[in-house]
Amino acid sequence: MTSPALTRRAFLPAGLALGSLAAGGAVAQNAPTALATAPVSQVDLSPRLTMHAIDTHNGSPGAGMKVQLSRYDGDDLHLLRRFETNKGGRTDEPLLLDAAYQPGRYELLLQLEDYFAARGTPLPKPNFLSQVPVRFRITNPAERIHLAILFTPWGYSYYRGS
Amino acid sequence: MAGISTHVLNSGTGRPGAGMRIDFSVRDGDGWKLVKTLTTNADGRTDQPVLAPDAAKVGQYELLFHVGDFFRRQPGAGNDMPFLDTVPVRFAIFDTQQHYHVPMLCTPWSCSTYRGS
Repeated sequence: MTSPALTRRAFLPAGLALGSLAAGGAVAQNAPTALATAPVSQVDLSPRLTMHAIDTHNGSPGAGMKVQLSRYDGDDLHLLRRFETNKGGRTDEPLLLDAAYQPGRYELLLQLEDYFAARGTPLPKPNFLSQVPVRFRITNPAERIHLAILFTPWGYSYYRGS
Repeated sequence: MAGISTHVLNSGTGRPGAGMRIDFSVRDGDGWKLVKTLTTNADGRTDQPVLAPDAAKVGQYELLFHVGDFFRRQPGAGNDMPFLDTVPVRFAIFDTQQHYHVPMLCTPWSCSTYRGS
């Protein structure tokens, strides 16, 4: 993506996506993903569950976050799938779609400590947050749900997005 | 002061979240052991500490906020809480000399938590 021969001047026309590289002079290993994508509108899409993880500590998509999606059956939690967020902090395919998009109680489990440890973020041991549960309900299968999850090593928020 | 405390705020009204049930648990092997159930007071806090300083141990803890029930009881609320019901917050005490204030800011459609002070 870059080479040592490029000067800072050469970066300037390339815009925001490369600005962070110019400032540091080199790309750190496991650096947060640069912001290279525009927001995605999901208006008028069919009912589905989607998510978007945002690393508000680094100001980047929450890329490469390991996540488990589970569904409650009474008090028992059943694992549906394990996945990793893509470069944009989303998933390539909806988490639940069509017949799989069923009312119920669900939980995402985010491997937040691993995510920041892989980026070299200084953390206490054990970290304040390690595996973060994001619990929510799907009640109306006719309406899609987009889960937005904003996180740092010290806090997080999630909400029904759009 | 070390230990654990919490504070519930209703972000939709900008008021303390009074009367919310919170279940406080400690990690026990592969599961969670309920330590106590608390209810927030008029200021959205708990009258007693969630965990007293002398009881603090390094380990994993959970506050389970009954957000759905709380909003069902608000004036004018429907019985249906379609998105949030119980919201678990799991965190570690990594240093018993430090205090852990873990607030819950919530609406029926969103919640937020962080290490506060």
